[in-house]
This record gives sequence, C-alpha cells and structure tokens, in this order.
Amino acid sequence: MKSFLIVILTFFALLSGCATQPKQDLYSEIGGSATLSKVFGLAINRIYNDPVLGPHFEGVPKSHLREMLTEQTCALIGGPCEYTGKSMQEAHQERDVTAAEFYRLVEHVQQAMRLIGLTYEQENRILAALAPLKKDIIYQGI
Amino acid sequence: MIRKLFLLICLSGLSPLAGATGSSLVATGGITSFEGTAGGGITPWAMIAGYGSEEEIHGTAALQQLDLGEYQLRTFGAAIGIYDRVELSVQRQNLKVGSGITSNVFNLLTQGAVSTAPGTDIEQDIIGLKVKLFGDAIFAQNSPWPQVSMGAQYKKNRDFDTSLPLSDGSVPLPQTGVPMLLGATQDSGTDFYLAASKLWLGAAWGNNLLANVTARMTKANTFGLLGFESATDDSYALEWEGSLAILPSPSTAVGIEWRTQTNRLGGLAEEKTVTDFFIAYFPNKHWSLTAAYVDLGNLPFDDKASGLYLSATVNL
Ligand code: HEM
Repeated sequence: MKSFLIVILTFFALLSGCATQPKQDLYSEIGGSATLSKVFGLAINRIYNDPVLGPHFEGVPKSHLREMLTEQTCALIGGPCEYTGKSMQEAHQERDVTAAEFYRLVEHVQQAMRLIGLTYEQENRILAALAPLKKDIIYQGI
Repeated sequence: MIRKLFLLICLSGLSPLAGATGSSLVATGGITSFEGTAGGGITPWAMIAGYGSEEEIHGTAALQQLDLGEYQLRTFGAAIGIYDRVELSVQRQNLKVGSGITSNVFNLLTQGAVSTAPGTDIEQDIIGLKVKLFGDAIFAQNSPWPQVSMGAQYKKNRDFDTSLPLSDGSVPLPQTGVPMLLGATQDSGTDFYLAASKLWLGAAWGNNLLANVTARMTKANTFGLLGFESATDDSYALEWEGSLAILPSPSTAVGIEWRTQTNRLGGLAEEKTVTDFFIAYFPNKHWSLTAAYVDLGNLPFDDKASGLYLSATVNL
C-alpha cells in the first residue's frame, strides 16, 4: 500500500508537471469575452429549455447569469476580468444540484462551444478551468 | 463472434433504454477490459463501469476477441456501476487452443510417440468487485491526486482438470488439464488490486490525456487461464499495470498499456510483460469499439504470442 502510494504520487505529480501549460493566450486566442458571451448566451438558452435543468433557473434572469458566467470563465482562463458574482457554494446553496445535473449542464456548454466554433483543444482547456468548480456546485444542501 | 457483436450493437440501438445510458460525459466510462472490469483493454481503471453518475445505476455489456493464431481468446460479460461508487462484473473467458499446440504437448510428453491431437478449450469465469475509494479522475483538475479504486477479481478456471483427448478419443492422462500439465496447483484464485486513474483536460496540446496505474496482488498464471499457484510458490505476487492514452477528439482515444506477470510456472508457461497499443472509438454514449495490437510475450509453444484485439462495449 505504501509503495503503491509513493509510486502513484510520483507518477501523477510528474505527469501533472508536464501537463501544466501556460493559459494566458487562451483568452485572446478564442476572441475574448465577446466569444465567451456568445457561448454562454447559447448555452443558457439550451439550459433554460432543458426539461431537467430548466426548473432550477426559474426566476433567474438570463442576462445576469450570462454576464456572471462570462466574467467567471474569463477570469478562470487568465483573461482581464474580475469575477464579481457569488461564490459557487453560495450561488448553488439550497439547490441540491446533483452530479447528473452538473454533467448535463457541462454538455450544454460543450455543445455551445462547438456550435460557436471553438476548437476541441480550446474547449478542453476551458473545461479544465471550469471542472474544479464541480465540488463547490453539487450537493451544497437544500 | 462478429455476428454476436453486431447483434449486441443492433440491440443497443433498438433498446427502449437507448437515450438513457447515464449522465456522465462520453468516454469517461472507459472501455471494458478482457477481465470484465471497466478499464483499458488489459487492465482495470479506477473508473466505475457505465455512464452512471453518483445518483444513477447503469451498466455495460461487452465482448472481446484476441486473435493469436493457434490461440484464440474470446471473452464476454457484463458490469453494473452503482452510484459511481461500486462496480460488479461477471465475465466468461474462452481460450481456444489449436491442435498445433496440443499436438506439441503430446509430442513432448510422449517423446514423439504421439504427434497429433485435437485442440481444446480453456474456460474461466471471473467475478469482479470494484469500489471507488476517493478522488475524481476527471473534474479534480486542480489537484494532483488521481481517482483511486480498490478491487477484487475472483477467478475460477473451468478446465483446470479437463483432460486432453487424443485423436482417437482416448484420454491418456485422466483428470489432468492444461493448467495442471504446466504445473499449476489450484483451479481458482482471487486477485486484489488498487487502481489510480487521472484525466488531464487539454493537457497534451489541447487534447485530453489519461494515465492509469494499477497494482495487483495475484496468484494467477497467465491471468488464471493457466491456473493458479505452483508446487513451489503459493504466495501472492505484486504486479504492475498501466495505461497512457491521449484523446485527440471527443470520440477517440489512442494509447499504450502494459502489465507485468509473475512467471511462477516458467518453462513452457513462461510469462512475460504484456503490452498493447489501442485505438478506441466512442461515437456516442451507447457503445464503443476498440482495436488493439496485443503482445502477450509468450504462451506455451508460441513464443511470439501477439495479435489483433477487438472489443465492443455497449452501455446500458
Ligand atoms: C460548470 C458548471 C456551473 C458553473 C460554472 C456555474 C456557475 C454559476 C454562476 C457564475 C452563477 C452566478 C452567481 C451569481 O449570481 O453571483 C450561477 C448561478 C446559478 N447556478 Fe450555476 N453553475 C454551474 C452549474 C449549475 C448547475 C448544474 C445548476 C443546476 C442545475 C446550477 C444552478 C444555478 C442557479 C439556479 C443559479 C442562480 C443562483 C441565484 O441567482 O440565486 N448551476 N452558476
């Protein structure tokens, strides 16, 4: 068990080291906040129309959510933005978001990125920035 | 075999379950290894079978075929993933041993007196259990920790003492199967393993990168197909397995794998490190197809045991 953990940690730490890439050019590469806003505009339409996800967003203004998601993603991928919204724990508190709902939403965002014309590589790098939010979004209590 | 494969695929398309294979993202369930657990082709991964999220129960059915010429390995089975936490699997393996091989066996045993014999089958059943211990292989992108699962595979060789007949139907060595002839002393055994897996989104020039390391405690000879333990060695040995894959598109993964073996029996049944190179295709969440070139290193009377591996997984 101990030798397993040592091997595992060294191996994955090494790979993580190789895998970390500079992100600063991703923001300008995709066309900045204008592109992000288009992506989330489209994604939010799909999310609000989704029979499973839609009900969660009743009474949440689309334009506000779009602005917050754009700002947040911009900041997370190294763009010149400051996220001014609520923390993820706070925003999703009392909603009891499930992992299934989370994946569903991510699929809409993925789909929107493809439809707007981002490349698979750009899509992956954006998802890499958003993925760690999962643990602060799902199951934040009812 | 191919017919069965297509049947399965067609069934999956017609199934009323189509459209309900689970919520997890495509390809994140991995494929199904030839031992029935979710993983790569030859090694278990820490991922739980199927696309079920932590609120869902989903499963997979899969079949695999490895063409090694005189040896043909055909396997099939099913797995169920419960709440993205527990995986249960059953698998049947069938190793067809060609008459060229059994003839060699008798030739050797009788010092040339008997030089032809019909082929035979070695079958094995595997019941697998896997439990996710901690970690999130895909979403914990800011953590160096992989997802880690612990598992067990109970294996029962069904032909441990199935005697080899001669061409005239006579049985010179009753109650002695191929595993026994080669020196194995047990017909069953349980492997225990720890698997650590991690996916890095966008890490390889924007493509996703996946790595897996598995440590296995085993008493098996050639996966158990040649039985378990030997007269001189009945203790567990630690073996290492790994996979490294890159996903150059949302629906493809290419990679390499390796798996060390104990080589307890030696001689004809010498075991070497298994390696493979694979391409997996995930057109959607209903099914995936994998083609690989697998090199087993050695099987009795075949010191270049390598060939084409095909595997299909249907997600339920
Ligand atoms: C990658 C996944 C997600 C991200 C990045 C994300 C991000 C955000 C952001 C930035 C806000 C705005 C916070 C604010 O108003 O200050 C928000 C609000 C919200 N999110 Fe999420 N979210 C995600 C997944 C989900 C899921 C899966 C659900 C539910 C199905 C959900 C439900 C909500 C709701 C209902 C609000 C409005 C909260 C309010 O105004 O009171 N989110 N989210």
